[in-house]
Amino acid sequence: MTRYAMIMDTRRCIGCHSCTVACKVNNELPVDMIYNPVYTEGPNGVFPNLHMTFYPLICMHCENPPCVGCCPTGASQQSDDGIVWVDSRKCIGCKACIQACPYRARQSNRKTGTVQKCDFCKDRVREGLEPFCVETCHQRARFFGDLADPKDAALALLNCTHSVQLLPELNTNPQVYYIISAGDEG
Amino acid sequence: MSHKEDLKREATGVKKSCCFFCHQNCGVLAYVKEGRVLAIEGDPNHPTSQGGLCARGNIALQHLNHPARINAPLKRVGERGAGKWERIPWDQAIDEIASKLTALKEEFGPETVATAGGTLRTDDWARRRFMNLFGSPNGFHNAHLCWIPTFMIETAIYGWCPFEIDLPNSRCLVLWGHNPGASGMPEMRGIIDLKQNGLKVIVVDPRFTETASKADLWLPLRPGSDAALALAWLNVIIWEGLYDQTFIENCCIGFDGLAQHVKQYTPEWAVPLTWLDPELIRKGARMYANNKPGNIQWGASVDQSGKAAGAGIHARALLRAVTGNLDAPGSDLLSGPSPDFVTDEEMEANEWLPEEQKAKQIGSDRYRLTTWPGYGRIAEITKEVWGKAPTAEWMCEAHPPSVFRAILTGKPYPINALITLATNPINSYGNSRFVIEALRKVLFSVTQEYWMTPSAMLADYVLPAAGALERPIITSTYGCSDTMIASQRAIPPMFERRTNYEFWRDLGCRMGQEDMWPWENLEEAYYYRIYPLGYDVSSYDDFVERYRFHFPEREYYKYGRIGFATPSRRVELVSSVLQELGYPGMPTYVGPAENEIDNPELAQQYPLVLTAGSGFMPFHHSEHFQIKELRYLKHEPYADINPLTAKELGISMGDWVWIETKRGRIKQRANLTQAVHPKVVVTQRGWWYPERTAAEPELGGCLESNTNVLTDVSDEACDPIGGSWANRGLLCRVYKVDGSESGRERAV
Repeated sequence: MTRYAMIMDTRRCIGCHSCTVACKVNNELPVDMIYNPVYTEGPNGVFPNLHMTFYPLICMHCENPPCVGCCPTGASQQSDDGIVWVDSRKCIGCKACIQACPYRARQSNRKTGTVQKCDFCKDRVREGLEPFCVETCHQRARFFGDLADPKDAALALLNCTHSVQLLPELNTNPQVYYIISAGDEG
Repeated sequence: MSHKEDLKREATGVKKSCCFFCHQNCGVLAYVKEGRVLAIEGDPNHPTSQGGLCARGNIALQHLNHPARINAPLKRVGERGAGKWERIPWDQAIDEIASKLTALKEEFGPETVATAGGTLRTDDWARRRFMNLFGSPNGFHNAHLCWIPTFMIETAIYGWCPFEIDLPNSRCLVLWGHNPGASGMPEMRGIIDLKQNGLKVIVVDPRFTETASKADLWLPLRPGSDAALALAWLNVIIWEGLYDQTFIENCCIGFDGLAQHVKQYTPEWAVPLTWLDPELIRKGARMYANNKPGNIQWGASVDQSGKAAGAGIHARALLRAVTGNLDAPGSDLLSGPSPDFVTDEEMEANEWLPEEQKAKQIGSDRYRLTTWPGYGRIAEITKEVWGKAPTAEWMCEAHPPSVFRAILTGKPYPINALITLATNPINSYGNSRFVIEALRKVLFSVTQEYWMTPSAMLADYVLPAAGALERPIITSTYGCSDTMIASQRAIPPMFERRTNYEFWRDLGCRMGQEDMWPWENLEEAYYYRIYPLGYDVSSYDDFVERYRFHFPEREYYKYGRIGFATPSRRVELVSSVLQELGYPGMPTYVGPAENEIDNPELAQQYPLVLTAGSGFMPFHHSEHFQIKELRYLKHEPYADINPLTAKELGISMGDWVWIETKRGRIKQRANLTQAVHPKVVVTQRGWWYPERTAAEPELGGCLESNTNVLTDVSDEACDPIGGSWANRGLLCRVYKVDGSESGRERAV
């Protein structure tokens, strides 16, 4: 079994948006569509005692994806390796999945009417390449790997650092993990 | 398979090219077929970028194929600025420009021709070569605002600028007015790697930047007060006994004088100037001095602080000397010029410019260090010690505001021709209203450009320029490092685009310089430059494909063998070169061009402090506003304002506000953020609007949000040593744009 996951190291991310642009350009997305924005948390505090963290957002490729069960046509689906994706040939543009996603990871394409989202660059990763957003990251703040493989470097990183998932209370079990510094909890 | 992978498979070749959207020149692999680039990606084997590409690097193909690119020579047929052009052949353009320059030279002398280049978008040595052979000393860049005053002051004190930092062996890094988190991606990666291993990082910056958010210590000083902070650090390090006595005894002269001189500059003295707590000042100085070896990385902001720049740079430079952080493992290294390959300076033909023409360089009477008087002296000393001189292009240039003033006033003599390359002076030089008048007035104006910028719109000829994928590039820190990285042309220039090299060579050959341009193209010239390295290669491309870079073995403590390249061969804590040029040998406090202490009346009218010019992603200088893949990230300009101040002024998040100095006012949206002191405002640089009408009077909205409307280039505001004009620490006021004013500001 394969269990693809992404790890975002917020200790390293500087919010440069390289990933955002690399994804957009290489996946040939429409100008108004972004799969992976970078959210700036802060600066929090009062000048000059400040704190700022950057969170690269993306589809969480949840283990229990709410966007799949709600799809009336089976276009929104999850592969055996954990990748959640949309088969545009089956999508009727009802947007139920957009409503269901608690991470706002899905967008409707204005031209085609179908819903699009990050698919972890599935065609690349299945050939052993990295997703575009990982490949372009100067800061090495993003890691992609297979958590079912005990020798995987991403798994090792996850095991020796402190990481969180977003909205864990929803029991979606996101497969995007955020390594955070002490003090960034919550 | 993804579309990109299909394109990569369809390609018939992979070229080792690079990005040139900033100074880092990150490696780019270009997948090519039949003269087209099908796909690009970061080069994982590139020595610095290691496969990474930033937001800008990722849009190489959009830049290459953009529908707004200039692809053929254009000649103005209507009124200047009306946007009426006739397409002409290159030959005709070169003929007409050559005959016009010849006529102007005969009537006014060659010095009447001035040229300006953009940042590393241009083949600079070729421009200097043409200008030297033509006889004009009046080439320039934004050099006086960016590194060059630092390079020259540091070279005056210790014989070279120690820009090469030995970070892997360092224990403490000071980032002084430098935000690699938004400007230098490979550098930032290195810093974060080392920080996880215990490197201490100190950030000196008025704004809580991306980099400051990762630092151990942040010193948010009043913009432009760098000289006060650096002098106070010298005071702490010397009078708390934290200096390196062995280095000072063996390598420096003038220590006792410096110690007495800085006794007055206590942290308490610096408090009203820097707005910093004296204990924070001490903490920073102690952290740097006690964690040896350490580095102070160059940052442009001190270079941009106008009249206070020279003193700030000088004091900052002395910190390395008194702590012995020079050319030792882990410290700032004096690489010197390359003894191995042919440097930019050696390609410039500086020996061909007659002494009487050097003496006519505009600004060289007043700003003597960064023009022929200072450069000539420094080149003489460095040739004695290193065997070679720094690049004259950049280090020795006409003073840009003085050139624009000469266009407008005819003093000290008329400048009648201006040739610009890949630069948009209205947005990138100080006091834009003054620049725009000069561009409208100059008799003859030519530009080689990628885009119809507001400045290009005012030219008589607009020639198409080849981009990063269409030209070979050698990266060697402006020709001043002993290392070099070589990148190749991915494809021949598309359409009728040409490199600047071809432009200068053709123009030179048409004007009787044939014998001096033996290299038909850049590859031939670059093969000549790398040939002495002794690699077994048959061409420049062969070198790129098989070796790509040349990093000689690092030699520490070179001064033990050859001395420092100063008149005394020591580090001169009292600089004899600066004294020879008529400047103080030690840094004496100078306040920013406008400040609340020296100008209290002005501060009543303009109660806030403006800092302008720092870089921000995803743009660079005044570039990329037409690239929609980047513009959608930040589609409007924002100025940082503290929420406390905003509340007092009735300003809410996102409101359009006027930011006004004595020179004029601009509109940006308010970004309410704790990142700045309640009295500080930070504007974004470069903004113009390519989506608007390019012709007069709108000129792409080039004055509406352009921070350079606010900056000061008067002689009194400029640093007498290095020529910097005032971008940082100016006095301003901010108020909300009311409904009736929401119309666009016209360039008129």
